[in-house]
Amino acid sequence: MEYNTLLQELKDKFGDSILSADDTADFFTLVVASDIIKQLISFLKEEQNFIFLTDLCGIHYPEQEKELGVIYHLHNLVENKRIRLKIFVTKANPQVDSIVSIFSGANWMERETFDFYGIDFVGHPNLKRILNVDFMDYHPMRKEYPLEDATRSDKDDRFFGR
Amino acid sequence: MSEKDKKYTVVEAPEGYSAPGFFATTLDKAVGLARKNSLWPLPFATSCCGIEFMATMAAHYDLGRFGAERLSFSPRQADLLMVMGTIAKKMAPVVQQVYEQMAEPRWVIAVGACASSGGVFDTYSVLQGIDKVVPVDVYVPGCPPRPEQIIDGFMKIQELVGNEPLRRRYSPEYKQMLESYGIKIDK
Amino acid sequence: MKTINSEHHLDLTKEDEKVYSTLNLGPTHPATHGIFQNILTMNGETIVGAEQTIGYIHRAFEKIAERRPYYQITTLTDRLNYCSSPINNIGWHLAVEKLLGVETNKRIDYMRIIVMELARIADHLICNSVIGVDSGALTGFVYVFEEREKIYEIYEELCGARLTTNLGRVGGFDRDFTAVAIQKIRDLMKGLPKVLHEFEKLLMRNRIFMDRTINVGAISAERALNYGFAGPNLRAAGVDYDVRVQEPYSSYNDFDFVVPIGQNGDTYDRYCVRQTELWESIKLVNNALENLPEGKFNAEVPAFFMPPKEDVYSKMEPLISHFKMVMGEIDVPEKEIYKAVEGANGELGFYVVADGGRSPYRLHFRRPGFIYYQAFLEMITGSALSDAILTMSSMNVIAGELDA
Repeated sequence: MEYNTLLQELKDKFGDSILSADDTADFFTLVVASDIIKQLISFLKEEQNFIFLTDLCGIHYPEQEKELGVIYHLHNLVENKRIRLKIFVTKANPQVDSIVSIFSGANWMERETFDFYGIDFVGHPNLKRILNVDFMDYHPMRKEYPLEDATRSDKDDRFFGR
Repeated sequence: MSEKDKKYTVVEAPEGYSAPGFFATTLDKAVGLARKNSLWPLPFATSCCGIEFMATMAAHYDLGRFGAERLSFSPRQADLLMVMGTIAKKMAPVVQQVYEQMAEPRWVIAVGACASSGGVFDTYSVLQGIDKVVPVDVYVPGCPPRPEQIIDGFMKIQELVGNEPLRRRYSPEYKQMLESYGIKIDK
Repeated sequence: MKTINSEHHLDLTKEDEKVYSTLNLGPTHPATHGIFQNILTMNGETIVGAEQTIGYIHRAFEKIAERRPYYQITTLTDRLNYCSSPINNIGWHLAVEKLLGVETNKRIDYMRIIVMELARIADHLICNSVIGVDSGALTGFVYVFEEREKIYEIYEELCGARLTTNLGRVGGFDRDFTAVAIQKIRDLMKGLPKVLHEFEKLLMRNRIFMDRTINVGAISAERALNYGFAGPNLRAAGVDYDVRVQEPYSSYNDFDFVVPIGQNGDTYDRYCVRQTELWESIKLVNNALENLPEGKFNAEVPAFFMPPKEDVYSKMEPLISHFKMVMGEIDVPEKEIYKAVEGANGELGFYVVADGGRSPYRLHFRRPGFIYYQAFLEMITGSALSDAILTMSSMNVIAGELDA
């Protein structure tokens, strides 16, 4: 399956929602609109043999208008091809459709992305924090938060170069 | 076999007065001698240091030689809480709860850099040393410490145990120290 | 028997409470090798629902990695799957080499294969002996740990550390294999088959062990693929996906090795798949050691390789490049890559978004343990508590990998 034919099929089916396609990275990377992600992944799984969800993670670009992003890596085990999908949402409305009904493995990966970036996955059965403490009130991987705990008293920042 | 043919070493006797037929020492030294050679550890192994502890318990380094053959996962039956590995803030209340459930006398050894002071991980989610929640007796640095270092830490605990006065756990300073950590004292 | 939705097990009515009990398995428990918690709802000895909690050892690796230069992140990768640290280290170095476009010669590749397969042997030895310990057979564990000590001695010879090795550099190694190291590897490869045969005689055709592990914790291939399983757990379910064969890296395609697959995806299959992979790793190490070609032990990556100290103290250019490297002025292209290696638990992936600076803009670890542990609920519902313990230990869940 050539990437150009795949891109043509996707453009025919989804039209303008495919915002950009890039073949110069290590494998085919698509940036798509966030509302079609569930149909796109379902199409890729049912009809293009991308049966393995390798990874799902979040990213934060503070200088873009749509700051928060979710990045999906899918793998076609039959023909040994990988694909990367990116969607971006704003901080004010970070809603993304959950793909747990397509890939059960996305369950915890979406919870981790919610925990770190605050992206709300609509339709997830149990969207709670998974790695951090339950009463944490901010999303730590966003770029505006520091790495260290602001309340620690025993380490003097002068000696740590901060 | 005569006395002179002994090829094994026995535990050193504490200071005392000995004469044919008897040996006189203080009670706390005798009790300390018995306790220090039969410490039952509670391995609270969380991460990489736990694997080095498994190596210490295995046949090559063998912590069992020091009397710590019987690992106890039940806090009531353990003497020594060995905290090995990173303690995250999510886990800190659990460490304190396990410490509270242990019966006196109890000692704590913090194995590894993460348990002693947070280690490499100066982050929002890692407790910077377990001495923020429980009183620690011995710290073993290293990342992870070699089994020889863990055994050295264990031997220092044995020294502490052997020399501990019997009334220490009932003294007001001890109770005050436990209160400063927020640890409830069992009657 | 009423089935309980596992995410809401606490909604038990008063009538239910007469039948079902709640058992807290963890976070501190002798049989969970690592810290994670399972709150089980049980009907007698049978499990009807569970709620999993992880994150008790969350150390924020991905956030730390955004502050560290590329060569300091190796120390973080050590602590992911700490039973087989060299695989994580070399996987990270391969990812950075993919980012920079660096090619390594055959000698480096073969040396890396030897180190990675030794790490795989070490990890599978722990996992299989711990399955034995959890079913009551402690002897195998003690015998097998002696072999792990020998592997630790080899690591010490190569890099100085036993467990968290921080082995190698981007572009190869910092020193060649010494004659002592090669002799130790040869001795280990000569002595390991005998110990493995002894270990197999204890467990593999043991009636008690087979009764306890066959049809316990089974998962079908379709469900395993849907969850994103990889590694020995997926191969035990019947899917032959091995990153070393699918996307060969570090000259694995020069070697001929078998990828074992199971049929039922149960605990016994996982045990047997790991055992067979142990034998294959021994063959790989022997082949690589015999055919080790001559060459340099590091590729030309001047930005990541500290010049030798004698040059730094006496010549000008090495001094400047040493300074620039330590201060972090290296040119890294602005792109994003995903690189996967076959860890001991499956596909360990590194997704790096580089912005041209000294640290990555975003680094995400695709941790196999995190992904397949989700299926644990499905695998134990309906089975007994002791089966759940064996399933957990046969899946080889390492807490460092779970929480990162």
